Amino acid sequence: MKIQFIKSILNSAFFLKALFVVSIFMLLYISSVSYKHTKALNESSDLLVHSYKIQYQLEHVLSMLKDAETGQRGFIITRNPVFLKPYKSVEDQIYASFIKIKALTIVDQQQQANLDSLLKLIYARLDLMELSLESIRKNTVTESQLNENLLAGKTVMDKIRNQINKMEDLEISYFNEHQKKYEREVIFSPVSTFIFAIFSLLVFILAFIKINKDLSVLRKSNTELMITNESIQHAEVIGEFYISQWNLVTGELTYSDNLYRLLGCEPQSFKPSIENFLKFVHPEDEAIGRDAADNILIHGKTYPHYYRIIRTDGELRYFMSTGKFISDDKSKMHIGIGKDITDYHLSNVALEERNHELEQSIKELESFNRVASHDLQEPLRKIQTFISRITDNDKVNLSEQGKEYISRIDSSAHKMRILIDDLLLFSRTNKAEKIFEKTDLNIVLENANQELAHDIEEKNAVIQSVQLPILNVIAFQIQQLFVNLIGNALKYSKPDVAPIIKIECEKLAARDYPDFITDTRKKYFKISISDNGMGFDQQYAEKIFILFHRLHHTTEYVGTGIGLSICKKIAENHNGFIVAEGKPGIGASFFVYLPV
Amino acid sequence: MPKNPIHILLADDDEDDRLFFKEAFQEIKINTSVKMVNDGVELMNHLAQDNIQLPHILFLDLNMPRKNGIDCLLEIKQLAHLKDIAIAIYSTSSSEKDIEATFIQGANVYIKKPSDFNTLKKILEQVITVNWQYQTSGLNRDNYLLSL
Amino acid sequence: MKLYLKFDSNIAFKKIIQEQLDKLRLNYDYLGFAEIEIDDAVSGSEMKELDTCLNLYGIQIVETQKSVLVQKIKDAIIEMVYSEDKLPISNSAYLTDKLKQRYGYLSSVFTEITYTSIENFILLQKAERAKQLISTNEFTFTEIAYTLNYSSVAHFSNQFKGITGITPSAFQRIIKKRRENSINLKE
Repeated sequence: MKIQFIKSILNSAFFLKALFVVSIFMLLYISSVSYKHTKALNESSDLLVHSYKIQYQLEHVLSMLKDAETGQRGFIITRNPVFLKPYKSVEDQIYASFIKIKALTIVDQQQQANLDSLLKLIYARLDLMELSLESIRKNTVTESQLNENLLAGKTVMDKIRNQINKMEDLEISYFNEHQKKYEREVIFSPVSTFIFAIFSLLVFILAFIKINKDLSVLRKSNTELMITNESIQHAEVIGEFYISQWNLVTGELTYSDNLYRLLGCEPQSFKPSIENFLKFVHPEDEAIGRDAADNILIHGKTYPHYYRIIRTDGELRYFMSTGKFISDDKSKMHIGIGKDITDYHLSNVALEERNHELEQSIKELESFNRVASHDLQEPLRKIQTFISRITDNDKVNLSEQGKEYISRIDSSAHKMRILIDDLLLFSRTNKAEKIFEKTDLNIVLENANQELAHDIEEKNAVIQSVQLPILNVIAFQIQQLFVNLIGNALKYSKPDVAPIIKIECEKLAARDYPDFITDTRKKYFKISISDNGMGFDQQYAEKIFILFHRLHHTTEYVGTGIGLSICKKIAENHNGFIVAEGKPGIGASFFVYLPV
Repeated sequence: MPKNPIHILLADDDEDDRLFFKEAFQEIKINTSVKMVNDGVELMNHLAQDNIQLPHILFLDLNMPRKNGIDCLLEIKQLAHLKDIAIAIYSTSSSEKDIEATFIQGANVYIKKPSDFNTLKKILEQVITVNWQYQTSGLNRDNYLLSL
Repeated sequence: MKLYLKFDSNIAFKKIIQEQLDKLRLNYDYLGFAEIEIDDAVSGSEMKELDTCLNLYGIQIVETQKSVLVQKIKDAIIEMVYSEDKLPISNSAYLTDKLKQRYGYLSSVFTEITYTSIENFILLQKAERAKQLISTNEFTFTEIAYTLNYSSVAHFSNQFKGITGITPSAFQRIIKKRRENSINLKE
């Protein structure tokens, strides 16, 4: 998730860089195109000005000549020298124009050549004019001569005009040629420039969108980071833990604010360092902290360690620290988490003490049980044996009362014996090793029947049993359970009616679970043992499982009321249940629920 | 029954039990010779002597000071010249587990000390006769298990 | 490896007697049922030697007429219990028929000599047979009960428990563990 995010950022950075380079190139291209374009435009206008200047000078030359011609004609007609006035300055002016044109066309060989021939023509014309004027002034001129002169003048003048036209045409053709070239370029560049401009605009828009998007992602992750940071800080305070970050390459160590609070100081009130931290550690536990730090730094091992802290207010607190290494190519970090476990530790200590006490009292109870049952047996047995000695050997010597007393002592001792035997059995059920193994209950039932073979035969009882499952049980306890329940059915059978004891078994569906089974995830077998004996009133169904509780009068039936308590204990040892159902005069049923 | 007495050895630390045991054999009409020792250590010392009459059957109380019955049983079963002596455990305990454990360790008879003298007599008589059958009638000693 | 052996004690017995008497160069006739007639006069020392030799095999020389009779009764009972056939319905009829003596007489002689009754001895032998069958692990209790003439498994279990004090299945369990135990010890 995080890596993905970093990747996308990296990708967008690369993308933005690419966009930037592309737009730089486009801008450079566009500006170079514009520069070239403007330059070409300038060239064109220069060229236009240039050719207009040349035309102007040529026109000027032509008009000077015309002025001179006009003046000459006026003089010729009127012989008034006033008309010669313009003529006199013409040569200078023409020359000045000529110099200008010369300068303007300095690079143009053809125009220079044209200019040279124009100049020759002009000089030829001026010479002709001078000649005419001279002849007039001297009055040496004839009409025909003059005509000839004028005709010659006209011819030269036409040539001049042609030459000028030719030069002008050449200039115009230069300009046109340039103009054509320029137009070609200018037609192409606005379109491409426009396309590029649009494209750059798009690129910029794209970059803007991208940057905007990245920015919002960044803002979002910033917010998230802020929230996370905030949560961690709160969590640290609530959970009473701190975080340390130790850069193992640079040695830089940072502690979260809560560490300072847990030590009872102001946040960041001392420089984070192992040494500074160890100042708060209980002197006896300093080695633990030092070892842990050494292991992290030198051996690259981190493990949970427990130590005590003495806070600035002098209170002793129990801490637990653990950590994890985080490394990439460049750095190796150790992220440590420390926790104030004082409450947990104290309650654990209290619990341990309680456990110890409980174990102690269980042990006492067990030894009491042993004393009460086992050790009491010895003297009781001797008492009984001695009584039997007396009744056998010395009965004749006893008074009637003595005999009566002896028989009562004997009967009491007998009751006590049964009680002790049953108690012993009950305590054995409690503390015996609970070895669960896969057991075929059919064999267990068979063994139970063998144990009861004498009673079964004596009472002519019929035992009907279905196929029982193989379950993970404490075999001898289940056998005891069967012996007790079947024995019970035999004991409380109706006089003169042969007992029929049915043993049935079914796997319970969850919907058939009785109310007392709360854990519906477990699967149960329901084993029922029902008889056709005397039964009992349903109101006693729960009481009969209570230790020493008996429904029948002592003399009527032998028993101590422990048998069913043992059954209950056995069912509980197997995480199962036992319930009873009885109908007086019809029979009793016992249901044992054993988990699969 | 043989003209020579059946040799019986009892190891029991309880004085009363030794008394009952002795008196019971006095009343049983079988020719027996009863020898008694007070605990496991005494028993093993007795059996270690040369030239003694080894018992036909040894009655062993489980709960004895210094060395208990089970330790004696294990020790006897390790000794070549003693391991064929029939051993009857003679104890107050009657837990199935104790009974099975001693049988597995090699005991032949398990007697729960009864609380009635006549029963004691009957039991001891039964043990002696059954034991005698195992010694004389070619019964398989491996299957010699008797719990009373 | 475990071997279960089946043997005819009569043949083994005959063979041992033959070997021992031949060793002492005594002529004899085998009369059957552990009874032999020695033709020659036997000296006291020879008698003692024979007694010692036979004792090695668990065989004793019984002298009195009553002891001989008891031995015959025992043999008859063992033969009866261990025969492949089903047991006879009436023990007394069987013994009377076998030994050609009045049952009352047999019974009183037996009790006088062994301090136990013929019925007890039969029960003991039957239990012994049952133990043998159980320890082979080859038969179910139902099969054993049938073979030994019991009306039901319950009856069989009850009687077995009455004689040995333990249930058949406990017996089976103990014998199995005992064997494992002795194998472990040997190893």
